[in-house]
Amino acid sequence: MKNEKNIYQSRRDFVRKAGRVLVVAPLVAVPLALAKKTTASGYVWQIDPFKCTQCGQCKTHCVKTPSAVKCVHAYVMCGYCDLCGGYLRQGVKTISTGAENQLCPTGAIVRRFVEEPYFEYTIDEDLCDGCGKCVKGCKDFGNGSLYLQINQSLCDNCNECSIARSCPAQAISRVPADMQYIPKEREEGHS
Amino acid sequence: MRFAENDIRVIRNISQVAGIFTLIVGLLMIFSLIQLKTINPLDNPALLSVKEQFDKDQENAVLAEQVRAMDLMARKAYFSSRRQLETGSWLILAGAVVFIICQRLIAGNEKIMPGIPGSKPDEGLRQQRYRKYLTGSAVVLTAGAILASFLLRSNLPDLSGNRVKALSAREARKAQRAATRNEFDPDDTNWPVFRGEDGRGIAGGSGYPLSWNGEDGTGVKWKTVIPSDGKSSPVIWGDRLFVTGAEELECFVHCYDKNNGTLLWTSAVSGLPGEPAELPKMDRDAGLAVSSAAVNAKAVCAIFANGNLAAFDHDGNSKWAFNLGVPANIYGYSSSLIIHDDILVVQYDSDEKISVMGYDIENGELKWETLRQGSPAWSSPAIGIFGGITQVIINGNPFVSAYDPSDGKELWTIDCMYGDVAPSPAINSSMVFSVTDYSNLVAIEAGVTPVIKWQDNSYTPDIPSPVATDEFLFLVTGYGDAVCYNTQTGDTLWTHYFGDQFYSSPIIADGMVWFMNRSGLMHIVKAAGAYEPVAESQLGEAVECTPAFSDKNIYIRGRKNLYCISGK
Amino acid sequence: MVLALMLLWQTVMMAQDRFPRPEFESGYEYPEHQLPLQRAVWLEYVDVAVLIAALSVAAWLALKKRSRNGLVWLAVFSLAYFGFYREGCICSVGSVQNVALALFNGNYTIPLTALLFFIIPLVFALLFGRVFCAGVCPLGAIQELTGFSPVKLPRAVESVMAAIPFIYLALTVLFAATGSQFIICRYDPFVGIFRLDAPFTMIVFGILLLLAGIFINRPYCRYLCPYGVLLNLFSRFSWRHLSITPAECTECRLCEDSCPYDVILPPEKAEYAGDTTGSRKRFLIYLVLIPLFTAAGSVIFFNLAPALSKVNPDVKLAMEIREEVETGTEATSLAAVAFKESGSTEEELFTREMDVIKKFRKASPWAGAFLGLALGIGLVSLTIRSSRTGYSPHRGKCYSCGKCFRYCPVQVKKDKI
Repeated sequence: MKNEKNIYQSRRDFVRKAGRVLVVAPLVAVPLALAKKTTASGYVWQIDPFKCTQCGQCKTHCVKTPSAVKCVHAYVMCGYCDLCGGYLRQGVKTISTGAENQLCPTGAIVRRFVEEPYFEYTIDEDLCDGCGKCVKGCKDFGNGSLYLQINQSLCDNCNECSIARSCPAQAISRVPADMQYIPKEREEGHS
Repeated sequence: MRFAENDIRVIRNISQVAGIFTLIVGLLMIFSLIQLKTINPLDNPALLSVKEQFDKDQENAVLAEQVRAMDLMARKAYFSSRRQLETGSWLILAGAVVFIICQRLIAGNEKIMPGIPGSKPDEGLRQQRYRKYLTGSAVVLTAGAILASFLLRSNLPDLSGNRVKALSAREARKAQRAATRNEFDPDDTNWPVFRGEDGRGIAGGSGYPLSWNGEDGTGVKWKTVIPSDGKSSPVIWGDRLFVTGAEELECFVHCYDKNNGTLLWTSAVSGLPGEPAELPKMDRDAGLAVSSAAVNAKAVCAIFANGNLAAFDHDGNSKWAFNLGVPANIYGYSSSLIIHDDILVVQYDSDEKISVMGYDIENGELKWETLRQGSPAWSSPAIGIFGGITQVIINGNPFVSAYDPSDGKELWTIDCMYGDVAPSPAINSSMVFSVTDYSNLVAIEAGVTPVIKWQDNSYTPDIPSPVATDEFLFLVTGYGDAVCYNTQTGDTLWTHYFGDQFYSSPIIADGMVWFMNRSGLMHIVKAAGAYEPVAESQLGEAVECTPAFSDKNIYIRGRKNLYCISGK
Repeated sequence: MVLALMLLWQTVMMAQDRFPRPEFESGYEYPEHQLPLQRAVWLEYVDVAVLIAALSVAAWLALKKRSRNGLVWLAVFSLAYFGFYREGCICSVGSVQNVALALFNGNYTIPLTALLFFIIPLVFALLFGRVFCAGVCPLGAIQELTGFSPVKLPRAVESVMAAIPFIYLALTVLFAATGSQFIICRYDPFVGIFRLDAPFTMIVFGILLLLAGIFINRPYCRYLCPYGVLLNLFSRFSWRHLSITPAECTECRLCEDSCPYDVILPPEKAEYAGDTTGSRKRFLIYLVLIPLFTAAGSVIFFNLAPALSKVNPDVKLAMEIREEVETGTEATSLAAVAFKESGSTEEELFTREMDVIKKFRKASPWAGAFLGLALGIGLVSLTIRSSRTGYSPHRGKCYSCGKCFRYCPVQVKKDKI
């Protein structure tokens, strides 16, 4: 009886030890296999403005309300036009700051006179909900200086970005954490 | 913690209040959420219809006023419901926390009454029952899976051919393995395209001069003024050297005797049908002659930024010429040509179309064209041989891709570059290295399914291309940091700051790396895993082109002059 | 934490320069571009440190201090830190997907923190059992704190439902490895609660699960959590494990019904175990069946692969475009519109689709084999009766929550002193 108990005891110990070896193996193997494929700095999600089609999903599909996607302005690319395709609704005849003329549904674009004939357009990010209407307007009628970016301080950096999943143009991807934005202004280059 | 009966009653009351509060706030929030998400006030039909009316009658001040009023209302509604949601969620959280704490206290206070269970269940019977349940659910799930695998097949591509394809892929892989190692043995004499044979930046032969001085003429065999401007680099076949140039809208190909610098012939490539009447959009000082020519035994071909493409025999007689359509892009077209087996490969990058084309060098007939995805790049193609298959590698944005030069089929592609891609790929026997500024240096193991072996973004050239042996990868950044990487691991083996700008791409020749900076100083460094400078030689003229190496001589195009360096 | 793009570039080129860049005379200067950055990277390593500390505390509380209250407070802390402060991301449960993606996808390099979040709880499980579940995992913590009055499910339901996590894990790894989706993140029930903001369905699912959890404690852990499958496996071979009683078990039976998860194993006399030839025979039969189940699983999943591949966005898009090509019904989804705008060809899309399906064909049989193997081993283990003295928790299934402590009279006595 005593003896038999010992047999079971030792058998269980053996199974436990063997199992431990079996499960430790992958536990060691996984980091080893990934040793070369590990980055210390991680990723963040960002929109490639050159792929973005301004479909409007960024506004609705972000897990945050309002969306972490905001419009940003590449001032150096801007023409500072009076008749701005990003600020004014298409087809309006009078150019003014009246609500009936504004394209932005939340009134997040501030128009300021600089000098004849130039106007500066600034985005109020608190009001912007990332719908991309102005971006489309600017792309279609202007220099394309307005573009959408994920504001990294608002972004939760989900493991899987919910707008990236629904982005029809697959414009949102992981970018290295040391390059958190994809600015639209570009430097001069040669070959 | 133990509480008296009275305290528990109080806690229970608090918890009830908190629960009801949470419930009410929750309901309000759900209502608010519905309002925000479904009847989005900003897009509400009333506002849209008023706007529509206003569009038809823009002079109507009353309508304008109406739009303003409704717009204000909509925005107010939108932002206040957003605020409600924010505060609501905090309230609900607070309520829930209070509720949970109270419930926990109540639960913790309850005396536990360990029930004395009846007879112990028989373990054997229990196990038997479990087995039955488990088997039963496995059977149900299996049936479901089998059913689903047939029901959900509709609208998928025909998979029946798959097995045959997989087999043939396996055969191909076998053939690949059987193929001999990918030998690359560049010619001593011919430097047929930008960055030498196959565009790899590796020169054949040895005994190249190490020291010269262009200012006082030491070591310069000959020097001649090139009659037209250009940023293109010289190419060499046999005794002849070819460069392209342009004066405003007129484009030329010049042919020199490489032994004495005599200009043998100049042919114009202008006035072709479809050629634009003015300079296409490009960077200020780029000009039309940025792309280098390509030459083989039969012909020399040249392309210009206005889309003119022409081929001449080695004596300057035109074989064929036409305009491809203007490859207009922001900085101007700059990709060089490359030739493989009498197929002239053109990397065509414009705002309108991005493709790669193969032309018959004999008659200029378009053999194939493959559209590429992404944005224009300013790099040049190079040729690699991986697994016994010769492939044209293109650094694009964002794809680095390989094409079969015989039929243009895309062999593989990988999404890894972004930004303004100007450097051309570096290639060794198994890998492709792509890099551009503000992006990454990516080491790709070439193959049917390319794999990124490592990446680094510490040193990224904007214009000079990297160059690689099987062991080492060398590159120099635009501002003068030269770097050597271990090709396998991506470890930085050495770096050295040269302290000047670089446009010219480094070349490996005779076991050394030749870095030419923008002011004309050539840094010659051992092609090894440790920094070991060999020599430095001054040309005395600004250089933006990549030198050509042939028969113990180095040919360098400066801003104005063409030099042949032979050493002492 | 703000990246200010200093616009000092001499010549900035324009993407579409319809309108020339103005030359200002009034001395106007371009506003600085404010691009705020993510939370600093070193803070992620603080998260790792907190994870290790919390796990150590949990192990100490469960195994040494034997304090149920301590574990509850630890759960409160974890819920506050990993749940509400870190907003549920990054979590060990989700890191399974990052590891799978990194292992099988050439282009993805895994952040070190994700790898650590994956490995560390498993190491602790191997040392001390599932202390991660007890009070560190925010998903476990929120359920632990809301499970007031446990009710036991019929064992039939329990045993069938317990198979779901295995299927969930197999599909998770399959979908992550093929680069299709991260389903754990997508269907995470509580992350919306942690963020106080989420799509409707997510919140409703989370709240329903919590309400159910009041009675059926820890429903996510028991019937869904894919990471729990791994923890279960590792914990079975743990070096030390929580025990119900601090002393020798007197087999008083008071704790027998105390576990809301029903994972307390009663003592078994040696003569019951392995006595009949019948059970030995059954054991051998099931042992032989293991390879059979494995093979069957892989065949079924190989067959199922095309259907599963439909979760991949490329396959979905290709299906829509093919429909348009073949039947003429216009593809109108946003993805289809964006695809048509992008200028890439149908041929390319279909090649990509085939590549994805091929990947699924290659990977699915392994998922099937895993499920078959799990089923086989599960059945075999149900034929083994081993002897046991005293009441002890099932090492694989016990969450180390410590609810059973105060059912043990020895413990109660000790606490009073």
